[in-house]
Amino acid sequence: MSTATETFFAELGRRGHEPLLRRVTGSIRFDIGEGRAVQRWLVDIDHGDVAVSKRARGGDCTVRTDTATFDSILQGSDNTMAAYLRGAIGAEGDPELLMLSQRLFAGPERTGYDHG
Amino acid sequence: MADQVRILHGNTFVVSDDRGDIEASPTDPTGLFAWDTRFLSGWVLTVDGQRLAMLSVDDLQYYQTQFFLVPGTGTVYIDAKLSVMRLREVSDGFRERVEILNHGEEPVELTVRLDAGSDFADLFDVKNAQQKKGELYAKAERDQLTFGYRRETFHRHTTVTAQPRPDYDEQGMTWKVRIAPQQGWTADLRVVPGVRGYDDKPILLAPPAVNLGGELDKWLADAPHLESDWEPLHNTYRRSLIDLAALRFAPLSSGGRSLPAAGLPWFMTMFGRDSIFTSLQALPFVPELAATTLRELAARQGTRIDDFRDEDPGRILHEMRYGESAAFKDQPHTPYYGNADATPLFVVLLDEYERWTGDKALVKDLELEARAALHWIDAYADLMGDGYLWYQRRNEETGLENQCWKDSWDSISYRDGRLPGFPRATCELQGYAYDARVRGARMAREIWRDPEYAAELERKAADLKRRFNRDYWVTDGEYFALARDTEGKQVDALSSNIGHLLWSGIVDRSKARAVARHLMGPRLFSGWGVRTLAVGEGRYNPIGYHVGTVWPFDCSFIAWGLRRYGFKKEAAQIAAGILDAAEYFDGRLPEAFGGYPREATRYPVQYPTACSPQAWSTGAPLLLLRTMLGLQPLGDSLVVDAALPAGMGRIELLGIPGRWGRVDAFGRGRVRVEAPSRLRPSLAGQR
Repeated sequence: MSTATETFFAELGRRGHEPLLRRVTGSIRFDIGEGRAVQRWLVDIDHGDVAVSKRARGGDCTVRTDTATFDSILQGSDNTMAAYLRGAIGAEGDPELLMLSQRLFAGPERTGYDHG
Repeated sequence: MADQVRILHGNTFVVSDDRGDIEASPTDPTGLFAWDTRFLSGWVLTVDGQRLAMLSVDDLQYYQTQFFLVPGTGTVYIDAKLSVMRLREVSDGFRERVEILNHGEEPVELTVRLDAGSDFADLFDVKNAQQKKGELYAKAERDQLTFGYRRETFHRHTTVTAQPRPDYDEQGMTWKVRIAPQQGWTADLRVVPGVRGYDDKPILLAPPAVNLGGELDKWLADAPHLESDWEPLHNTYRRSLIDLAALRFAPLSSGGRSLPAAGLPWFMTMFGRDSIFTSLQALPFVPELAATTLRELAARQGTRIDDFRDEDPGRILHEMRYGESAAFKDQPHTPYYGNADATPLFVVLLDEYERWTGDKALVKDLELEARAALHWIDAYADLMGDGYLWYQRRNEETGLENQCWKDSWDSISYRDGRLPGFPRATCELQGYAYDARVRGARMAREIWRDPEYAAELERKAADLKRRFNRDYWVTDGEYFALARDTEGKQVDALSSNIGHLLWSGIVDRSKARAVARHLMGPRLFSGWGVRTLAVGEGRYNPIGYHVGTVWPFDCSFIAWGLRRYGFKKEAAQIAAGILDAAEYFDGRLPEAFGGYPREATRYPVQYPTACSPQAWSTGAPLLLLRTMLGLQPLGDSLVVDAALPAGMGRIELLGIPGRWGRVDAFGRGRVRVEAPSRLRPSLAGQR
């Protein structure tokens, strides 16, 4: 398992609230890795409040991908939509959650919404 | 190349010749297309080895066509004892019924053959015949024929099935048929595109198809009813509503709700600018399009800096694509953000939508997105730090150079034809930014309850207006420059963009009459509409894409702008010209037509490769109706202040939906408009 992935979920758990997802309520399970090395995280979103656990079950949407693809999405060199069209990332359940999950992944610069 | 026949639903469409055959080549972009991929590039019907000849083609519905054919391809067909009918209907893929009738006295034995194949070309490669990087395959089984394409984990396929069962081979299928005298034979075919995702499992990219027939009837019944003394207007209005229905596109995340795609054949996808402009045009008729456009664009609003996609936080997308080139990042369209107008226009649409519908809930729901869009104008688009909205692509390879609606390479020029460097600040963008702030301020004050933010936006708007009227005003010509260059100089060509400035309200009252005079003057007004670039400018060309042609969509917003400043007669003149032109195209306005003077050609000359139907051309007659009737929401009521061309007689628009429930609007043509020539009774006619 890549440290990038672990770091991301640890950081996401600490983020607490993600304003870009304030209209989202639902849970996304991430199954990252290949074969027996799959690691699972469950991300619960309640009006933008984000909680991360290592539960292996449940989720309104299950996102599956390999470590390399997930790393490149985290780094911003790939995105979920392109990977989904390519068959490099899978989603079962509510597809809107997959699209919105892109918002969990910050790009090179993260400014969020500054209300000017 | 035979005439092309197009039928469509959502982003699935079939382009064939007038026999119903598909024989794609780099110069002949026919086929079955879905999700920006060609799923069928060959589909040719023969009877006893003979191609068929067309007797007639009926476009029954936008999604349905019937071909009447006979065997033989000579210029004079033989006295055929056989006739062949093909009825084709697009849904997810298409269904086709082939029927052969034996009109003779004797039974016939026939070999009926359908040659089929697919190259799985990406829409972006169709014209260049790109070498595929993956593997094509064909698989003939007992009960079906499958074509497919794989590249790594990317997998698309097409399945063909038929009843009665033919003999399938890898190039098509064959039936041996015996038909008794005066009898017929029928085969039903089904072609289904397939998209595979992770683990090679089938995935959906859109909600399942609906019952198109019943749904279209309801769509037409829900729209306001038009009565007019001028008969062609009925046809144009009905054509617009049907085409708008055909151009609806439901993204996967929308729960089945639709927004307008940009146009057939190359733009059957979500475009920020086109979806917004079309939603604005259609607001008085089908306001739900605007709601979906706003929600879906908001859901995909930029959140980060991504140079490849020209993405910034708060930016509204330009274009979304689903094909191989997007999947493998040869193109940045997942989505691509490189446009400078959709972001302020998003705010404009949100406000205009609420004024019509009273749907405050959506304005509250999208508050953060609207604020982020307004913030983008200041924080990310002011590339020169001078308070104007600029654009310059960061993706130098596949990004768009011109990020305004006139997006061709030569659209922005000085009078002498020189092109300015980058970044560029075209004038209409400043108008949109002004309008977005004014409208944002209204929403902030009345709905978001943030008077401080409202005051700040109003201050910025007023400041922009003051500076704009000073910096962009071409004193010796009395009009606004097309753009500002990086040295602060005016890109001084005279263009239709000044009409959008009236629409946005950024023009000082004292300058409005001069602007209107230019729009209606001989250099810009062709007799049909306003040219994109004025006669006499260095790059003027009456059939230049953005440098001399007339765009119906452009004209509809210019007419709205003229009304905003009180120029009723001028707005009616433009409406008369464009609606008159629509009649020549049987009610379906093309993307653009030639800028030739009306008295020279007497009919509007369609731009050679114009896209049709195109959403914002389809929306133009709707906005012109609104403009002529002077429809304007005021509080909870709808103001009607009609100014119709004299030849139009009486118009009644019944059941206009809005916050008032449904109301009717009436008008009578009293405005004398000029028509330089008349081959037939036109809108300038006497009544």
